[in-house]
Amino acid sequence: MVKTKKQPGSLGKYFVIFIALALIIYAVFCILPFIYTIYYSFTDYTDMHPVDLNFVGLKNYLKVFDTPVMVTGLQNSVIYAILLTGFQVILGLPLAAALNQKLKTKNLSRSIFFFPAVFSSLIIGYLWKYILSSAESGLINSILTAMGFSTVNFFTSQSALYSIIATQVWQWTGWAMVIFLANLQGVPEELYEAARIDGASGLKAFFRITLPLMCPAVKIVVVTGLIGGMKVFDSVYAMTGGGPGNATQTVMTVMMDKGISDGFYSTGAAFGVCFFIIVLIISALVNKLMSKWSKAIS
Amino acid sequence: MRETKKKLIFTEIFIIFLAILWFIPIYYLIVTTFKTQQDAMLHPLALPESWQFSNYVNAWTKMEYPRALGNTLMITVSAVLLLVILGSLAGYALARTKNRASGIIFLLFLAGLIVPFQMNIISLYRIVKNLGLMNNQLAVILVAVAINMPQTVFLFKEFIDSSVPWELEEAAIVDGCSVPRRVFYVVLPLLKPVTSTTVILVTLNVWNEFMTPLLFLQSRSRGVILQEVSRNIGQFSTDWATMFPMMMLGVAPLMIFYIFMQKYIVAGVAAGAVKG
Repeated sequence: MVKTKKQPGSLGKYFVIFIALALIIYAVFCILPFIYTIYYSFTDYTDMHPVDLNFVGLKNYLKVFDTPVMVTGLQNSVIYAILLTGFQVILGLPLAAALNQKLKTKNLSRSIFFFPAVFSSLIIGYLWKYILSSAESGLINSILTAMGFSTVNFFTSQSALYSIIATQVWQWTGWAMVIFLANLQGVPEELYEAARIDGASGLKAFFRITLPLMCPAVKIVVVTGLIGGMKVFDSVYAMTGGGPGNATQTVMTVMMDKGISDGFYSTGAAFGVCFFIIVLIISALVNKLMSKWSKAIS
Repeated sequence: MRETKKKLIFTEIFIIFLAILWFIPIYYLIVTTFKTQQDAMLHPLALPESWQFSNYVNAWTKMEYPRALGNTLMITVSAVLLLVILGSLAGYALARTKNRASGIIFLLFLAGLIVPFQMNIISLYRIVKNLGLMNNQLAVILVAVAINMPQTVFLFKEFIDSSVPWELEEAAIVDGCSVPRRVFYVVLPLLKPVTSTTVILVTLNVWNEFMTPLLFLQSRSRGVILQEVSRNIGQFSTDWATMFPMMMLGVAPLMIFYIFMQKYIVAGVAAGAVKG
């Protein structure tokens, strides 16, 4: 037997060659911007004052919380992320459980539920803007009028955010369903048979067997849903552009307006760091809650 | 037994009903593209009174479709190719090297899964400008490669760790195979599943990316499909017979991709999520 003298750990120069380009592109367009964002957030950098930056301490961070539209943006993004993720789980789980049974139409139904998730949120946003239009020609309002109801305005300053969330629930529930289904398919059939013999009904089996075993998939959907939700831009940009007034501004719509177009670079950078800190807190919280859940089960 | 069967039928009917409901917006999009404006407003969910194929011709020329599609394709294909080649090599090197440097580099990539690149768009904008890449499609490609690199490296490294046995490479080493030959002839052929997962996930991400083209591509001739749709919505929003075909042309390439690749896309999304 030849001894494995070339154990992992001896790619030699090829280690560097293989990693170099990937790392360089990643460093220039991800790591470097991150370092600069933190640096800018402590300076007086604006489009009017782009050189000889001065250190200004926490001034930009105070300004973030003193700018109503930025606070609104943070709040709306958090609401958006939580509600969207919540509905993805609440609707996606039973849907996956139902489609995991021996239904004749399950393959077709699965592809229909997943269908919207393939498309750009921007175009889906434009489409729903027509569907929810407050004019009588809007699809939902035309149905309401035909049935004798009065028209509803889905884009008032109170309702607009929730209307956007509803359209995104439509778009992303299928995505969650696919992830839940993948997890469900790993649950052994015998468990359900045993439950059936014990006389557990479908609903009972769902709560006693399915739900506890779904912990990994739920964690994935919740973490990616919350982080993805915080970043929402396309659908808001398409449906309301942040309006009416500033009612539906999110972190990213504010960042594009204030940070880039208006040239408040340093405040925008501080805003970006706040955004990052919220994402970190959310990830940590979810991790903690989920590990508690999995402990509670076992 | 009969009762469970009854329940199954009930579930089936409910799911069919729900699926129809879920499909209505897409049906509405498709059916409206073939209608005159008046027909669309009066009978929103009915089939067209007369099929208006000229709507598409009109939308096609107004959104300069061949050019926009060409740009989107070029950007997506370049980014996906770069990601798969560079990401698989990096993932391989990280999987096969167990030392401190390798561990730190892997952590650096992993951090990218949590840090939203969007928080950095201001400094990213400045870096792109300083590199002279503004209004250049290379900027969109490189940024897409960078922001999708963590997931790609992670997927390849995990896959090689778990499913590409070191013993195979050992045999090649005994035969005096050099590292590049080993990677090319022994490892590469085994990477098919993870490559298809990566290609699917990354294609969807890059194709649907709107913010970076919006930031980095100013002139219309360089723009992607989504920019074309968003530019025209201002001008044609009340002209349904033009706008709906534009939206349809906007989603059509991915719709076709989905219809033919459904099985792989769904499997890819599930595999990518469970490991990502």
